[in-house]
Amino acid sequence: MTDISLAVVLPLLGAFLLPLAARSGLRWLAAILGPALLAAAALVVFANWSGFSAPFAIALGSFAPPLGITFYIDELALLFALAVPLISLLLWPGESDQSGVRRQSLTLLLAAALSGLALSGDLFNLYVFYELAAVASYGLAAGSGSSPGYVAAFRYLVLSALGSVIGLVGIALIYFQTGTLNLAHLATLSGQLANPQGLAAFAMLLIGFGVKAELFPVNGWVPEVYAATGKRVAALLAGLASKLAVLAVVRILLLVFPGDEARQLLLVLGILGVITGELAAWQARDLTRMLAWSSIGQLGVVFIAFSLPGAAGVIAGVTVALHHLVVKSALFLLAARWGGAIERLRGAAASSRLGAGLFVLFALSLLGLPPLPGFWSKFLVLSGLADAGTMSHLIALAAVLTGTVIEGAYLLRVIVVLYGKADPAAPPPRHATADLFGSSVLAVALIAAAVMIDPLWQRLHGLAQDAVDATTYTQTVLGGQGPAR
Amino acid sequence: MIGALDTLLLVALAAIPLSALLAVSVAGRWLLVALYALQLGLLFAMTPGEAARSGLSFNLLGNAVGWQLDALGWYFAAVTLGAAGFSAAYAAGEWGSVNARGGLSLRWLYTGLQINVLAMLLLLSSADFIALFIGWELTSWAGLILMLLAGGAAIRAALRYIVYAIAGGMAVFAGLVVVHAAVGSLQFDALRGAASTLGTGQLWAIALLFVLGFSVKMATMPFHLWQAPAYAFSPAPGSAFLGSISARMGLFGIALVALKLIGVAQLDRLTLAWDLVSLRDLLAWVAVLTAILPTFVAMRQNDARLLLGWHGVGQGGYMLLGVVVADSLGSAGGLLHVFNHASYQAILLMAVFAVIHRTGTADLNRLGGRMPLTFLAMLIGIIGLAGLPPMNGFVSKWMIYRAVIVDGQPLLFVATVISTLGTILSVYKLLHNTFLGQLRLEHEQVKEAPWSMTVPMLLLCGVVFVTGFAPGLVLEYVATAQQAIGLVPVTYILGGIESPAGSLDMIWVTAILFAGFGIGALLFYGLGGRSRRVHQLDNYAGGHFLTADVRYQYSDNFYAGLMHRIRPWYRGSFEWAEGALVSALGAVSGAARGFFEQANPAHWVLVGTTVVMTWMMWHVLG
Repeated sequence: MTDISLAVVLPLLGAFLLPLAARSGLRWLAAILGPALLAAAALVVFANWSGFSAPFAIALGSFAPPLGITFYIDELALLFALAVPLISLLLWPGESDQSGVRRQSLTLLLAAALSGLALSGDLFNLYVFYELAAVASYGLAAGSGSSPGYVAAFRYLVLSALGSVIGLVGIALIYFQTGTLNLAHLATLSGQLANPQGLAAFAMLLIGFGVKAELFPVNGWVPEVYAATGKRVAALLAGLASKLAVLAVVRILLLVFPGDEARQLLLVLGILGVITGELAAWQARDLTRMLAWSSIGQLGVVFIAFSLPGAAGVIAGVTVALHHLVVKSALFLLAARWGGAIERLRGAAASSRLGAGLFVLFALSLLGLPPLPGFWSKFLVLSGLADAGTMSHLIALAAVLTGTVIEGAYLLRVIVVLYGKADPAAPPPRHATADLFGSSVLAVALIAAAVMIDPLWQRLHGLAQDAVDATTYTQTVLGGQGPAR
Repeated sequence: MIGALDTLLLVALAAIPLSALLAVSVAGRWLLVALYALQLGLLFAMTPGEAARSGLSFNLLGNAVGWQLDALGWYFAAVTLGAAGFSAAYAAGEWGSVNARGGLSLRWLYTGLQINVLAMLLLLSSADFIALFIGWELTSWAGLILMLLAGGAAIRAALRYIVYAIAGGMAVFAGLVVVHAAVGSLQFDALRGAASTLGTGQLWAIALLFVLGFSVKMATMPFHLWQAPAYAFSPAPGSAFLGSISARMGLFGIALVALKLIGVAQLDRLTLAWDLVSLRDLLAWVAVLTAILPTFVAMRQNDARLLLGWHGVGQGGYMLLGVVVADSLGSAGGLLHVFNHASYQAILLMAVFAVIHRTGTADLNRLGGRMPLTFLAMLIGIIGLAGLPPMNGFVSKWMIYRAVIVDGQPLLFVATVISTLGTILSVYKLLHNTFLGQLRLEHEQVKEAPWSMTVPMLLLCGVVFVTGFAPGLVLEYVATAQQAIGLVPVTYILGGIESPAGSLDMIWVTAILFAGFGIGALLFYGLGGRSRRVHQLDNYAGGHFLTADVRYQYSDNFYAGLMHRIRPWYRGSFEWAEGALVSALGAVSGAARGFFEQANPAHWVLVGTTVVMTWMMWHVLG
């Protein structure tokens, strides 16, 4: 079996080699290096997944846990570790000029950090990879070179840096109480954290990781950054980076804070996210801000889903997260040339049939029109909420449904504009081929998922069982099982 | 294995690409009409009493999803396919060619129509809640295609529609997950079996959520605002199709979930205010309010399409009333009214669109034309809509009145009579302002609509008359549908009803009516038969001849006196409430946006941390 740590190492290496290759005049090498390394990383993960039988752990540098750096590999980790290189490849910034090279190496850095987030088995490494991802994303956000881009990136930087500090305080609180940061070790000690200090630590971790996960109320940076940067970057941050931050939170929730209070906190913040995101999107005048707010709302649903207890919560959460990953990435790609006022897009369907058709498809899936996958993901969340049946769950149910109605109103407004009559004096912009290609690939994936929904769901069962099984986790990591190094 | 239902669904599916292909030529469009006839034929090849199961079934996320057409679905499917076929025929000839030149996409029109039909067939044949929801959502979105086609004012109406429709869909979705949580299965039979064991809280939730969701589609009050403009401004065949059957999918849903699955006995467990009011009473009152208020709104309309659209809303109230009374006579009346309303509403909309086709306007203040066949069709249509013998609308309304009286609800009866009064007044306005009175100069050259449009209308007139004369033809299917719901089927004869609750034989009624006409004719011709042909440009007032230089048109501001009296009652409270809701949402939305647009969002990190720290201190120290 290929060493899974290559999934992190290869893109990281590429991030440093790429500028060197570009400067030393090896243009052809610079052009293929990034995609090749990402593809290799994807292959590594895929090879691990195809040979997967049971979760295993590896200790980097041969320091036995809980002292060393642990990677924990189960299907949940593999799923996201596979999504990272694949989506990065799809959203690869193709330009080869100076700023293009910078963007490419930052994308590689981001991919390495996000893969690390998916695989890490201890809190400190989660934090390190999260910081790495944050640094890469500041660079990407500022990379548009426009002054609104710098302002937005600076807002983001301040918010994210402050959040990270608070997250670090949360980690310190945990360390202070338990004396360890290894997730497996913490899982055995979770009883010591079932108190106000523990819960406060969790809340602080939420503030820290929540910035990138677009969690209410630390998501104020989202619309400005997405509106000001390139839409590929927005797709990367909204689609991919947010999901990996969510994954980190979910790992911590499942292993370290199995109590009801932590879930309740996540649920409430999720509800607030849905409501504020969808409401703000309702009156958005430009497409990217609308998508950004809608993404905040959708991540609210993701948090609500993961707050559901047991394997059902993980299944629902993973489904919603993956669906949003595909749909929002695709929508941002479609929005690449469709920025600015929505009214400017009047009649765009006539000049860009495929683009408009794809927009309709993704919008309908986002709204949950059966039999598209968006329906099934909503179904899993809503039936989980109805099964749980407490007052706060029912409020969440109402919030998700109301959010969908509002979402329908604003998405339909866009669709009607797209299919309206164009003003011949100001013809609407057309799509770039690369953007259409990316979103078409995602559309194929979406439709394939609609057809294969039952096998996929069956597959998620095993994944979710492993993910919620803290006992296996601790035994695998601390019992020294898995391939030794 | 491919059964009868599969064949029908497959043909309906295959007809979608065929519609896109064939809709551009006249011959192709007639082929599509033939395809609707084929689908109707396939439907009639099934025996409605025996539920036809589809071979298609899936196991999705732990739920079996399948389709099965029982007699209730069959009945609605027959009306759907009939309405679609007649609408398709109406547009096949000159109407289609002329409007295609005007920029209408016939491809989208015919494809949209067929997509609607397929979606409705899927809905009507659903065997579990997932299939029901799939059909429901597809039907809602398919309707949007037809509404958006006309462009202009139609788009606003369509957007309003889709927001209502999504809201209704979400209520159904919520109902579905509550059923899942309460019963543990999404099969219809599971809820049917478990309904008696559910607590009242769960039963309230399920019944209310589904009824709310389905009511939005029915446009019962207070969800009635969207429907008339959304249906009215669709292109002619779309409008005729939507107006005659689309909203009835809501009635189907209510009959299915409330009557068949939950059952009348269990519904009656749902009471309020110390058992004074039951959910069914509540619904009955909602139904009569829906029958009354929109009817009077219709009377005020000056656009013929809107007038009919509002009547569509009002007539839905009658159907709902009949169904919630739920005895054998009332529910049969409600279901029969679905067919009857579809038939005459299609005629009326077709007639109005025929007038638009020839004159370019549906403004009732500016009409008055000479299209004798269209006039005849509209006359028959309004007799049906007003519920007068010998047309079919009379039969179903009579059954509903009778059921309400037998049920001991005199107030409901009075309310329905008030509604009928409004109906008669406004349909007379429709007929009068469209065709009667002095001919306008600009309409002197107006010709009758082409045969491709008049023939479907006249055929439907035949349907309206024949099923009025012999309601037993339709009641046979209604009774089987009742059986499928689990109600006592109505005892019918060819001429109507024969039951202890009341009897009606339309063959006699019609015979007496025509005998009356005969006696009148005898008297008239016996007394010399003096008549004088007058020119349509001539004008009379109170029996006095007015010369041509006196311009006298009294279609403008029709019912001025009556309107003067009742105008204060039209306060637009619901429009106001909807507007207020939207404004309130706008304000909250602005606040939410403000949150994201503040200068320094990082404050919230500090706010959050402070809250967390304070909370922790409080608990640790306290």
